[in-house]
Amino acid sequence: MLPNARVCLYPRDPAEAVRVMVEHGKRALVMAGGTTTAMSKDPGFDTLIDLTRMGCDRIELVGGEWRIGCNVRLHDLGVHPGIRKLWSGVLSDAARAVGSRPLRNAITLGGNVVGLFRWSDTPVALLAMDAVFDLVGPDGTRSLEADAFFARHPRQVMQAGELLAGVRIASDDPHGCGAFCKYARTEVDLAVVDVAACLQIDEQGRCSKARIAVGGTRAVPWRAEQAEKKLLGSKLTRRTIESAAATAKQEGKVLSDVRTDRDYRERMIEVIAGRTIERAAASCKERG
Amino acid sequence: MEIHVKVNDKPVTWNVSPGEKLLDVLRRDGYLSVKFGCGEGDCGACTVLVDGRAMRACLLLAGQVEGRAITTVEALGTPDAPHPLQTAFVECGAVQCGYCTPGMLLAAYALLRENPKPSEEDVREALDGNLCRCTGYKKIIEAVLLAAERMGRS
Ligand SMILES: Cc1cc2nc3c(=O)[nH]c(=O)nc-3n(C[C@H](O)[C@H](O)[C@H](O)COP(=O)(O)OP(=O)(O)OC[C@H]3O[C@@H](n4cnc5c(N)ncnc54)[C@H](O)[C@@H]3O)c2cc1C
Ligand code: FES
Ligand code: FES
Repeated sequence: MLPNARVCLYPRDPAEAVRVMVEHGKRALVMAGGTTTAMSKDPGFDTLIDLTRMGCDRIELVGGEWRIGCNVRLHDLGVHPGIRKLWSGVLSDAARAVGSRPLRNAITLGGNVVGLFRWSDTPVALLAMDAVFDLVGPDGTRSLEADAFFARHPRQVMQAGELLAGVRIASDDPHGCGAFCKYARTEVDLAVVDVAACLQIDEQGRCSKARIAVGGTRAVPWRAEQAEKKLLGSKLTRRTIESAAATAKQEGKVLSDVRTDRDYRERMIEVIAGRTIERAAASCKERG
Repeated sequence: MEIHVKVNDKPVTWNVSPGEKLLDVLRRDGYLSVKFGCGEGDCGACTVLVDGRAMRACLLLAGQVEGRAITTVEALGTPDAPHPLQTAFVECGAVQCGYCTPGMLLAAYALLRENPKPSEEDVREALDGNLCRCTGYKKIIEAVLLAAERMGRS
């Protein structure tokens, strides 16, 4: 319950949303699915801005890339046939790993990404997939690559009045495949560790591109770059994968919390990274 | 602010603060099947359908549902003419204290409309956001599968 909210605005496109966000500034609560924002009791908000009617709710394949609007609900992302094939379904698996079905019916991709928590699932997949983030703001539009977008919390990277209109992902390379694994105490709990892996293999069966993204362990998801280097040029044997997973464990600055302490989380990075890379490698081999 | 919705197919205009929880507005309006459990999206007692999809009424503000169609369990059946899901819940012993039941029924109802022949796994996934502290879930799942089978036959 927001005690002082008087009006709710429904911008019809991103440009109008930016206009009303700038006009109302800190007095407006900007909402998408509402699964975090509806919990607010802040008396400072007199206006709600509902972003879900901007027409950004499509998943489209345009000129060799997938475009996913910010308002796409995670359930729809999780079951979309094209997204389930893209990098072996890394992003759809991450979407399906979020909370429970009624939450996935409500949560939007934009809300899951911009309202990033340590345990948010889809950002990990987007980082591994080299997604591009399209922003619209008072000074116009700009696009950021995943590494830049997740260099800090998206709210620190985005300017006041700026919104995420959607993300773009290059459509699958025939030799590209991936996997996503979430480790949590129960099926519907928050991640202790998330790992997404996207791999490409060349004609000789050697790894020519590797992206290993880890979530759940610090404020923003991060790439295990040393682990990626171990995989490059290799034939993705069990030994290489184990060595890459052990490297990933060394790379993370890992936090403790009420669910899991630091030491256990570090060990789980190794276990889950190993499992994820192995699954990605197996789907590469299946494709041949 | 005026909020225009349909509740159980009936057009309704609420004169409420857009920042009020949908859960509170519905209960005040007499839709007492919508329960308050945790208030934070964990339990599913407050489940309603918004445009046919199961959502948390405790995580929606009134302003967010402008123009939407809301379904509560009041629309499903009556004591004299229960919905096949309700009959199956009673027959299978899927109801004990009953606090979770409206949410379970709506989540199951949304599933059967989307997928009339669900597998047990589909039922488990559709109900993964609804907690029951009494029954242990087995009978609830049996009830949904039984209702699906009967609805498929009729
Ligand atoms: C019980 C529970 C369990 C959960 N479990 C998980 C889980 O396992 N994994 C997981 O990843 N998430 C989980 N979540 C979801 C997560 O915590 C957030 O609630 C969710 O990601 C917010 O998305 P939303 O669409 O509901 O956005 P809102 O709650 O409406 O908004 C969140 C933030 O994002 C901003 N925002 C939204 N869209 C845009 C946009 N397009 N541009 C700019 N800013 C925008 C809003 O202003 C706000 O600051 C869970 C939530 C609950 C309540
Ligand atoms: S009261 Fe809404 S999920 Fe528990
Ligand atoms: S019957 Fe009591 S909570 Fe489910």
